[in-house]
Amino acid sequence: MLTRRTFAAMAASATAMTAVGTFGRARAAEPLKIGAVNPYSGGMALYGDEVTRCYELAAKQINAAKGGLLGRPVEIVRGNATSAQEGIAAVEQLIGRDGVEILMGTYASSISNAASEAALNYGKLYWETNAVASNLTERGLPNFIRAGLAADDFGRRSVEGALELVAKRLDKAPSEMSVWLEHEDSAYGTSIAEAQKRLLEEAGVTVGVGAHSFKSIDVTDSILRAKSAAPDLWISTGYVGDTNLLLRAARDQGFAPPAIMSVGVGDTAETLDALGAEYLEGVLLVSFPRADISEDYGPGSDAFLELYRAEFGRDPVAPQGMAAFVGAKILFEAVEAAGSVEFDAVAEAAKAMDKPFGSYETGYGARFDDTLQNTRAVPIIAQWQGGEVKAVYPPEAASSDVVNLPRA
Amino acid sequence: MTEILNILAVGLLLGGIYALVSVGLNLIFGVIRVVNFAQGEFVMLGMYGALAAQLALGLDPYLGAVLILPALFALGCAVYWLILRPLQGEPMMQIFATFGLLMLIQNAVLAATGGVAFSANSSLAVGSVSLGPVQVGTGRLIVLIAASVVTGGLAWYLRATWHGKAIRAVAQDRAAAKLMGVNVQRIYTISFGIGAALAGLAGCLLAPLYSMTPQIGINFILPAFAVVVLGGLGSVAGAYLGGFVVGLTEAFSGYYLDPALKHAVLFVVFIVVLVIRPQGLFGHAGAEEVGLRETS
Repeated sequence: MLTRRTFAAMAASATAMTAVGTFGRARAAEPLKIGAVNPYSGGMALYGDEVTRCYELAAKQINAAKGGLLGRPVEIVRGNATSAQEGIAAVEQLIGRDGVEILMGTYASSISNAASEAALNYGKLYWETNAVASNLTERGLPNFIRAGLAADDFGRRSVEGALELVAKRLDKAPSEMSVWLEHEDSAYGTSIAEAQKRLLEEAGVTVGVGAHSFKSIDVTDSILRAKSAAPDLWISTGYVGDTNLLLRAARDQGFAPPAIMSVGVGDTAETLDALGAEYLEGVLLVSFPRADISEDYGPGSDAFLELYRAEFGRDPVAPQGMAAFVGAKILFEAVEAAGSVEFDAVAEAAKAMDKPFGSYETGYGARFDDTLQNTRAVPIIAQWQGGEVKAVYPPEAASSDVVNLPRA
Repeated sequence: MTEILNILAVGLLLGGIYALVSVGLNLIFGVIRVVNFAQGEFVMLGMYGALAAQLALGLDPYLGAVLILPALFALGCAVYWLILRPLQGEPMMQIFATFGLLMLIQNAVLAATGGVAFSANSSLAVGSVSLGPVQVGTGRLIVLIAASVVTGGLAWYLRATWHGKAIRAVAQDRAAAKLMGVNVQRIYTISFGIGAALAGLAGCLLAPLYSMTPQIGINFILPAFAVVVLGGLGSVAGAYLGGFVVGLTEAFSGYYLDPALKHAVLFVVFIVVLVIRPQGLFGHAGAEEVGLRETS
């Protein structure tokens, strides 16, 4: 019998269900905001912009393909950070004002370091795609997951290049090889050089090491030290300005080792303008995987290049962009698998991923270790050839053969 | 021996760069007694000016100086007249104003360039000459020669010309100079203009040696402050010779100890010199009070 009380109860339930339904639909339509912490002003703006531009490209792609993530369209919200302090402020603003649920970045390791700690204070996931300093994952922050490269990977790949490319081309056994490691003296350059030194010495190579400040206005003393060691291979790890200055000083001082390798930078038009194609011919570059890598190695790299060109009407500014694009894709897969944006759930989902090398445009796979570092993200070796940068190693990634080694 | 000669050459060439950047800074300090934090940005503007002249007119960066020098002189005069003159009598505010100018110029160039590093190459700056066993980069040699000529020329100007004498008179005693009929504000304006023009010249000569970024001025100006204090505040000759002291200290410590330690060694020398000789190596006691000295 339908009493007034029963009717009232049913009516209340129906109203509540309708409200829930309305709320649910509203919730479903709400965008899933992801904060992109990067430098958009200052000296690093060019690259910070490029990284976030490629997050936006990945978001656009998933929105078009699946309507977004967890049933919600993905929206990238920019948080400008040119320093560690600004990184903290950007995180606070992105979470407090913009309501982002996940944070990602970062072009610079120092910014990532501070921003990810700030994100932990708010209980938010910090997904890293580009910063490389080893200590970022070694801190053991539960909310910090790195889908991209670490400094050790640059160290390992450059040593691989020294042994597999240079030593073989020079027809020398590792024990007959001598390598000079020149690095800028902050945590970035030092951590890569330490890994290089350890691995080269393990292989029996004679190693010399020099450090310089990336703000130095003269590095001739560094070049003279390297020159006096007469190395077979000179490896430089630094930023754009100091790398260009080192190469200019090497040229002016007549320092001409049989092989030159630049780690992390030296692969953009900024270096080409400074040194010219003739001098750079044959310089090896340990770099983020570039869009010209073979389709076998990085399936979809050609499509990424097309997509980028169609969207922005030019070629990518730097290879960091494709790494950011892939990092965002791995994030989307982990969140989808977790069914949540909570960092512990995403971390569990990431740890369960087991995608082989060659699963993404960069040639990356996805396999996260206990520190939440993707162990299947590795750099490639490229080379300046006729004023262009060509991927040359590993062989399956190569778009061109090695040239001018030893250097003429 | 070859090694020592090489390091000596590196130190002297680096000293030339420091001297060139420091001479204008010290002139401004010596006459107006303002520590111009924006001097490095004037150098940076000179570099970008040389690049712009190359891109727009096809001028070699060294030739670009013909345009950049008057442009920076005019900018320097305008900066003094519009920003520093109204703050006269408030030395701290003048320093803050130059710092504000630094940020303004740096960020304006950043906005214009998007943070991309540019190079202004010159065929004259590529390569090196062999002086016996020593390799000397031609670009740096040009800077060294220019620094020597500029310092000599400035010393002559201050000694031999009416304007130069007026500048020295104002530097020594502003009130007395005014009583003698010298237009003090005009002298200040011209001095600031000359200081900015010298920085612009430095920028043109340094442009072929570096990849320029909006932040590059700071890399030059921090050691330049050490140079002017070491050489002697207000002493043009001190800035020139102080440049070589700093250049040689950096080169020898960088080569024989560790390049990463060269600035630490430089500032140990800096502190020792100041403790033993507070007026700097070539300055006069009280120069910070009275400004540019007659002997400079």
